[in-house]
Amino acid sequence: MTEYPHASLRLLRFALPALRVILLVTGLAASVAAQGNFDTSDAPMPPREAFALSVEERPGGARVLRWSIADGYYLYRDYLAVETSGGASVPFDSEPGVRHDDPTFGTVEVYYERAEVRLGPVPGEISVTYQGCQEGGICYPPVTDTLPALPVSAASGQGATSAAAPQMTLAQESGLVDGLMRRGGTGLVLLAFFGFGLLLAFTPCVLPMIPILGGLLAGQGETLTARRGLTLSATYVLAMSSALALLGVAAAWSGQNLQILLQSLWAVGAVALLFSVLALSMFGLFELRMPRVWNDRMAAVGRGRRGTFGGAAGLGFTSALIMGPCVTAPLAGALLYIAQTGDTVLGAAALFSLGLGEGVPLLLLGAFGSRALPRSGRWMEVVTRIFGFVFLAMAAWLAARVVPPAVGLAIWALVLVVAGVFLGGLDRHGAGVAPAARLRQAAGVAALGAAALMGLGAASGGEDPLRPLAGLRGAAEARPAGKAVAFTTVRSVPELEAALGTADKPALIYVTADWCITCRVIERRVWPDQEVQATLSDMQVIAADLSTFDADGQALLDRLQSVGPPTMVFLDARGREGAGTRLVGEPGPQDVVASAREVQ
Amino acid sequence: MSRLTRRHVLTGTLLAAGAAGSLTLIRTEASAEELTVEAVLYDPDNPVLGNPDGDVTIVEFFDYQCPYCKANHPELTETAAADGNVRLVMKDWPIFGAASVRASQLALGAASLQGYRAANEALMATEGRLDDTHIADALGAAGFDIAALDAAYRENRDTWDGLMRRNSEQAALLGLRGTPAFIIGTTLYPGAMDAPALRGAIAAARG
Repeated sequence: MTEYPHASLRLLRFALPALRVILLVTGLAASVAAQGNFDTSDAPMPPREAFALSVEERPGGARVLRWSIADGYYLYRDYLAVETSGGASVPFDSEPGVRHDDPTFGTVEVYYERAEVRLGPVPGEISVTYQGCQEGGICYPPVTDTLPALPVSAASGQGATSAAAPQMTLAQESGLVDGLMRRGGTGLVLLAFFGFGLLLAFTPCVLPMIPILGGLLAGQGETLTARRGLTLSATYVLAMSSALALLGVAAAWSGQNLQILLQSLWAVGAVALLFSVLALSMFGLFELRMPRVWNDRMAAVGRGRRGTFGGAAGLGFTSALIMGPCVTAPLAGALLYIAQTGDTVLGAAALFSLGLGEGVPLLLLGAFGSRALPRSGRWMEVVTRIFGFVFLAMAAWLAARVVPPAVGLAIWALVLVVAGVFLGGLDRHGAGVAPAARLRQAAGVAALGAAALMGLGAASGGEDPLRPLAGLRGAAEARPAGKAVAFTTVRSVPELEAALGTADKPALIYVTADWCITCRVIERRVWPDQEVQATLSDMQVIAADLSTFDADGQALLDRLQSVGPPTMVFLDARGREGAGTRLVGEPGPQDVVASAREVQ
Repeated sequence: MSRLTRRHVLTGTLLAAGAAGSLTLIRTEASAEELTVEAVLYDPDNPVLGNPDGDVTIVEFFDYQCPYCKANHPELTETAAADGNVRLVMKDWPIFGAASVRASQLALGAASLQGYRAANEALMATEGRLDDTHIADALGAAGFDIAALDAAYRENRDTWDGLMRRNSEQAALLGLRGTPAFIIGTTLYPGAMDAPALRGAIAAARG
């Protein structure tokens, strides 16, 4: 059989260095070449320069191949080919090219300027073959480039399961954004995400932001007008939306969900500290000096006191990234869309729109709540103190995410001690004290009592602030509720595969983490549900725990093609994910039952 | 000027020099591959068009699906005929896949049946991309029996496959980027050439 040219090219690469060639450049030949209209500047470029291939690697092992085609060159669509190292052809998506009716070309489709090919995840090395011509010049033999193997998180569509991915095939679904885009274009995408944002506004992801903004506004004191309240909340909301848009950009840049990466000890600890400082400032311990620079700068915009526009923006930004690390369906949809298509602009715009939707109640709070808040006097003091405690509680709640549970309990104890003392739990009153003061003192004593219980709990190995003394009970009795579904916990891909390999049953993989607020809701509402328990009883249930988020955690997410917790992946007995069964965000018990039945 | 990557430094040097200068090909003992003027211009197995005794040889590395090879083919044959003293060596270098290989095989098969020129002309006159049906139609219209061509090719399969393999090796050793590529005299001209360019190159080869 005739040897194909590229094969012989490979062979001869080794023979070339041995070849001795003497070049005799004669003036005669040069002048004749010029005389013969042979323009040497048209000498064809090396094919890899004429068709410069760049490969974008997507999380999950997908790739986008892009050719930047030099001016005056074109690539043939029909000659694009992708093969595995074993020689099996790999299916791919390519855009329609320019159709030539020129008889010289016949009916071929070619690409000018650029060409793009999308590939699903493929295990192992792949080779990409492409062929094109210099217009009016020469046609190149096929060029084959080998691309190194990527960590593949989903077996590819043609069923080529790699050794590394023996048991699981994920469903390939067109994303939320993609679907909206097809139906109504960019406008519908943005509108829909604004709507999703509105729906999410009262979920645990966004709810903590209401007291934060309330505290910010209360801290304004006399300077607070409805207008200033609205402007401050608008600043907060815009910063929050920008932070969400930044998530999209970061996902495009790094392939990772920045929000999850920020659940580190340092990031969360720093924000907890920030909230403690804000709380102490609310207690009137000191005037916040930190935003002084901002104050000066913002003086033209509005007389800054305590909270400023800069402060509002800073709080909004950190709130979105750190306060509510919720992976909701729209967020996951937008991040996956960006990851799959590289369309950062639309993805980020959708997330920005989501943030604006989430911000609507906050804007209303800013506009109308400002009137309700006292501006001076004793009530003003009371209200700021209350928000001070809200901030302190936020700090404790944040800190509890990243420290051992017992330490978290101790922190709660400390907060309650502060509350108890401030409420006057330890004050000595004379006989003629007003009933209101006595009630206040009673609350303070109660807080101190609770603090004592928590302190005792922390010292005795308790973990849950609502049941601080659980550690004192016997191990057998501990943790009765919410654990009726017996999850096998995995923290890395090998552990996941080992767990999946143990049984030929349908499986549920529940991506969760200690810091995932929505996961707490699921644990309270979904797992204790009788029907859910009955449905899951015949399934293998695996919890992919991302509490300590590290490289293993990211690999696990990549493998599951998830952007973070909470995500539920349902696999049938043969390890294939049921189409349309995946649940992201906060599903109800019925959703879980429906998805589980789908794969059984 | 063509820009060079490290990968292509050596072949690129050849090509760049070839574009504006003459090229002397010498035998190398060290290499198993032989790249000589003799081998490139006078491969005994390659059919010769034009005047077999001409004083200037035009070698064209070509493919039956290469659009520029086909577009300029009439000018090439007319220029060679008008000159009357040009040996025209069409070197099959099928780079466009199976259909190109098939076309070359049948045309070379025609050489055994003394029909190479007609087969070559018929295939070079085709439009657009080829498949087996197109090839059969074009050769059938030129009066060929496809089965006979195929049998003729298979009869001398080692010869023809060897010839195409040598062509492809020579193309690599010469650093050819693709088709068409011309060697006129001992000067290498990559890319399509129109009649004036061909005439100039022929004159240059005669010195």
